[in-house]
Formats: sequence, C-alpha cells, structure tokens
Amino acid sequence: MSWKIWSLKKSPWVFHVNTGACNNCDIEIVDLLTPKFDVERLGIKLVGSPRHADALLVTGGVTAQAAPRLREVYRQTSKPCVVFCIGACACDKGIFTTGYHMVGPVDKIIREIDPHAIIAYVPGCPPKPEAMISGIVTALSVL
Amino acid sequence: MNQEELNNRLAEIKDKLIAIEQTVDNRIYLSCEAESSYTVNRFLFEEVPLRFVIATGVDSDDCFEILYHYAYDQIGCVVTLKAFIRDRENPAIESIAPFLPAAEWIEREIHDVLGIEFKNHPDMRRLILSDDWPEGVYPLRKDVAKPVTRPDGEPSKHPTVQSQSPARRTVALAKPVLPVGPFHPLQEEMEFFQLTLDGEIVTDIDMRISYNHRGIEKISESLQFDQVPFLVSRICGICSASHPLAYVQAVEELAGVKPPERALYVRTIIAELERIHSHILWVGLAGHFIGYDTVFMWAWKYREPVLDLLEEITGNRNNYGNVKVGGCREDIPDELKPKMLKELDEIEKKMEMLTKAVIDDPILHARLKGVGVLSKEDAIKYAVTGPTARGSGVAIDVRADDPYAAYSDLDWNVIARPEGDVFAKAVVRLLETLESVKIIREAVKKLPDGPVAVEVKEIPPGEAVGHGEAPRGETFHYVRSDGGNRPVRHKVRAPSYVNVPSFRASCIGQHIADVTITLAAVDPCYSCTERLAVVDGHGNVVHDYEALLKLSREKTERIRKEIQ
Repeated sequence: MSWKIWSLKKSPWVFHVNTGACNNCDIEIVDLLTPKFDVERLGIKLVGSPRHADALLVTGGVTAQAAPRLREVYRQTSKPCVVFCIGACACDKGIFTTGYHMVGPVDKIIREIDPHAIIAYVPGCPPKPEAMISGIVTALSVL
Repeated sequence: MNQEELNNRLAEIKDKLIAIEQTVDNRIYLSCEAESSYTVNRFLFEEVPLRFVIATGVDSDDCFEILYHYAYDQIGCVVTLKAFIRDRENPAIESIAPFLPAAEWIEREIHDVLGIEFKNHPDMRRLILSDDWPEGVYPLRKDVAKPVTRPDGEPSKHPTVQSQSPARRTVALAKPVLPVGPFHPLQEEMEFFQLTLDGEIVTDIDMRISYNHRGIEKISESLQFDQVPFLVSRICGICSASHPLAYVQAVEELAGVKPPERALYVRTIIAELERIHSHILWVGLAGHFIGYDTVFMWAWKYREPVLDLLEEITGNRNNYGNVKVGGCREDIPDELKPKMLKELDEIEKKMEMLTKAVIDDPILHARLKGVGVLSKEDAIKYAVTGPTARGSGVAIDVRADDPYAAYSDLDWNVIARPEGDVFAKAVVRLLETLESVKIIREAVKKLPDGPVAVEVKEIPPGEAVGHGEAPRGETFHYVRSDGGNRPVRHKVRAPSYVNVPSFRASCIGQHIADVTITLAAVDPCYSCTERLAVVDGHGNVVHDYEALLKLSREKTERIRKEIQ
C-alpha cells in the first residue's frame, strides 16, 4: 500500500457535488453530519473546497450544464481521489435516463478525463444514510 | 367576490375572446388569438385582479398554444387563458413581462424549449437549456422524437449570464460582482446568482438556471399516467409528496374520479409530515447561516423522528411513492396510530421549545428584523407563494383557498405575518409546523374506515389542472390527455420558480453579510448557498462561501455584544 492510499484512508474529507439531483440524496448527505448519524466521529468531514477533499460525493445524473463543472471539480481535487456515485441517478441516470438534457452518468464523465479514476457506487433512491456510511467503509477497505 | 361575480368580470372582455368554458367547479378556460393576449392578460392581472401562476407552451398540431394560468384565491378558482399562435413558421406573441415580472422567466423558458418569440421582452437570454445546447433545436416540439436524445449540432452562441445584457454590462464591469452558485438541487430551480456590489451593498442581482434541468416534462410525455407520480416525486426530494399529489389531482379531475375518504386522510397525513420535516430542515439551516450551529444540530435531530414515521408509513424516508391516481398505494395500519400520536406529542414539545427560543431571542430580533424585506406590493407583482408570500402579509394557502385532500374537514389556521422580513418568514414556518402537528393529530384520530384506492380505467381526452400547498408554496400541474395512455402535455411549476426571482426585490440594497440569510429565507434549498464566492471585477475570488458565512456570523456576534 502506497503512503498516499494509507493517508487517504485516514479521516476521508469529502466534498459534495450536486450535478442535477432531486435534492433527496443531498439532504441525506447533510443528515450524515447531524446528531443521529454524525460521521464526523469517524473522521469523515464535509469540506467547502474540492482542493481539500479526499473523496467526492456526487449526486444526480449530470445535466448538460453541470457536466463541465463536474469535470472542473474533479480536476481540482488532489489525487488519489475516490468518486462516490450516491444514488440511482449518479450510478446510471436512474429515472431520468431518457431526458434530453442528461449527459451522464457520473462515471462516464469522470472517465473521459481520468480513465483510471477510483469510482464507487452507492445505489438507492435515495440511499439510506446507513448505506452511504457502509459504501464509504467498503470502498476504503478494498483500496 | 364569488364565482358569479368573477364570471361577470370575465364577461367584460368577451369581445376579445373566442370562448369561455367551465370544465368543473372552479376551473375556467378562456381562449383568444395571440394578437389580443396582451390586452386580456393585462385585464386579468390588473383589473380583476388575479394572481399569475405560470404559463404553459403547447405544441398542438396546427398551431402553438400559450396557456396563461391565473388563480383567484378568494374562491380558489383557476382561470386559464389560451392564446393561439397560428403562424407555425415564425411563432411570436406579445410579452406580458413588462407589466408582470413574474412572467419573465417562464417566457424565456418557453422561448428555449418551443422557439416562440416574445415581442418586447426585457431580457430574452437563454434560461433553461445549457450553454452548449444547439441553436434552433426545441426539445418540447412534437417533431422532436420521444424520448429525445441529446442532439448534435453547433454549440449555441446564445448569451447566458456570463455575457450580461447591455444595461447591466457597464455596471458589472465597474463594480465587483458576486457569483452565487451554480449548483442547486431543485428541478427548474437550481440557479447561479450574480450580485453586483457597491462597497458592501448589493445593487443588482442576476440569475442563471439550467444546471438541474432534467427535462422532466418531456420524459413525462413518454410515461403512462400511472408511472408519472414516480417521476414527479423525484422533481424535488423534499416535496416528494406534494408534486405527485398535485399531479394525481389533475388526472383525477380529468377522469372524474373521487378517491375514497380514507385515501384523502392518508394523503393529508403524509403531506403534513413532509411539511414538518421540511420546515425543521429550514430552521436548522437558517440557524447555521447566522452562526447558531446548535440550532442546526438540534433541529435536524428533532427531524429524525418525523422521517422515521414516514418510513414506517410509506417504506422510505423520502420519495414516498404513496400517491396514485384514484387513491393511495399503502394504507396506514391502525396499530401505528398510538405510536404516531405519541411521537406527535414529542415533536410538538420540541417545536414549541424551538419556536419560543427563536421568538424570544433579542439577538435574533436584532439580526433578522428588517432584513431582506419583500413588501406586499412586490410579493403580488412577483406572484410569490407559500411562506414567502405569507411572511409578506399575502395570506394565500391552497389548503384553505381551494381545499383538497382532507383539509376542509380539519381545524387549522393559515399563519401570516405582515412584516415581510426574514424574521417574519421564520416565524411563519415555525408556527406552521405546530399547525401541521395539529392537523396530523386530528387526521389520525378521525381516520375513516374503508379502502384507500378506487380503480381508474380510462383517462378521457381533455385538460385539467391540479395544485397543492407544498412546504415552499403552491405546486401547480397542468395535464392534457388525448384519450391515450400517456399525457400529451404535462406542465409543472414548483413554488421556488416564482419565489426565487423575488430576490430582485428583497436583496437589492442589502448588506453582503445579510445575503446568505435573505437568499435562504425563501428556502430555495441549501446547496446553492454552499457554493458562494465573491469575485472582484477581474474575476479573482476575494471571498468564498466560508468567508461570507464568517461575515454573516461576525455580524451576529457584533449584535450580541451590543445587546449584552
């Protein structure tokens, strides 16, 4: 294990990117920070800048207008960076697959600029907070 | 004014109209040619006067139709004016935005998705489609295949927010601008704000949406009537009970179906639980913005039992999927009733404490009173709804004005405050939560026996509107059917679509430190405010979100010291 991966797995700081989600996954992500789940006790912290982030929590199926912004946010993160696709839309566009304004899903957009990106998927509509925690733990344990 | 007097008023402009029809009680359809639409609209808005709801563009076979929906809240009547544009080659119609700012966005949107020109529109920039969307491709036209895939073509040169309108460009270059956004999680409501500053005072505000435009109205045309509720519940995760409810009410009106009594009560209970969790969520975030993180954590902690109740009733914490045409999918089991009543007592106690803490706090009075004032006149001009309107003394509430579900059987009050500032909106939301608890408690106790759904077989051709009071205001759905399995047109208007443009009235003249809370006061959703940055005239970031939050919190701290 390289020292980069070793340090990534300690207290992962996450940045939240909404690329056209319905807000459901987003409120559940905020819910993770509040007293019932409180992931900060596990060292997981929501940060205000992608430059500080070890992982991106991406929600939504990526609209045409959001795609360039998602690429830019991913470019700004320090690598290695784990991209979490949170929710059905982020995983495969979900119910919005046939929308004319959708260019996603997330992994397609990220792979365009980084074919070797580390991408993890947490399906659900929305995934329960427990599922998100489990997704993060699982992804970090296989790295 | 009752229904008859309204009909008489409408008859005054009979000579401009082709027809006046009434499909069911409280739903009036007027039709006219495009040439007279300006005069008729002006009469409806200024003379009658009606509240503007939204406009719908429809691609009919031989013409384009623009449907202007108005509401007459005293009796809950929805008046729809249809204007026919016969020229399909160069469709054009007079803009109504010069006298009705609430129509500015929707005219830009119809221009984007249907290619209809609005003459004399003050600001015809692209609104809903992405910057790189090809010019001349109009996704909601019927000749575009269903489902539409993204077309190829030259990226548009259509100006968006980056290139300002000429009047604004000079200002923007001379003074610092503050971009707020772009990510925002509601359907047609995610936005990018650009605030122009003079020192620390906001002098202008411009907005760009499209980031969250998923093309739901077009997807809906490819789904069956019974599948659409699952789609519309995903317009917004927090309004995932209100949107399907408004939609099924429209379809039920179309099919002439009356859902069973028990289903109406179940719908009411779920809608009110949603309102409680949404308002508590807002109180928490508002606390966070002004530096009361304890309020944030407490409020979200108290919200959890509400989500647990929703999960027990519907199987999911959000996206309930419980409403269907003709009733509900799931019943509330009787053995759950005692638990619900017990939880409600707990929630009420916590909310009373929180309400008291906010209303009695001298620092909050000093910090929030007189901040971000939306006057009653502006509230009417921008046609705002929900707590944003009720905080400005416009006491409209679809639940009371045009009762649906079981609201007319239950005892509750519409909460309104005259001040129009952030404090008034906070108080409205907090007191509404207590009203919601009251509604649910009574509904649980009175829950009638019987089935929760009736079978619906055919949806006949026709058109109907359905609306309901979501936590943020009125959600409005227009559905048109040709007798087939799928809607031929389905228009959605979420409350923030009219609430957000009112920032132009409430933010200008404000201090930057007050902007976060003023923007948050209409509850547009938190995501936009998480990505704030102040840029000076050369595009350099001088303040980011953290810095703005700090400014806001420092002001609270300063006031705290002055008071003590």
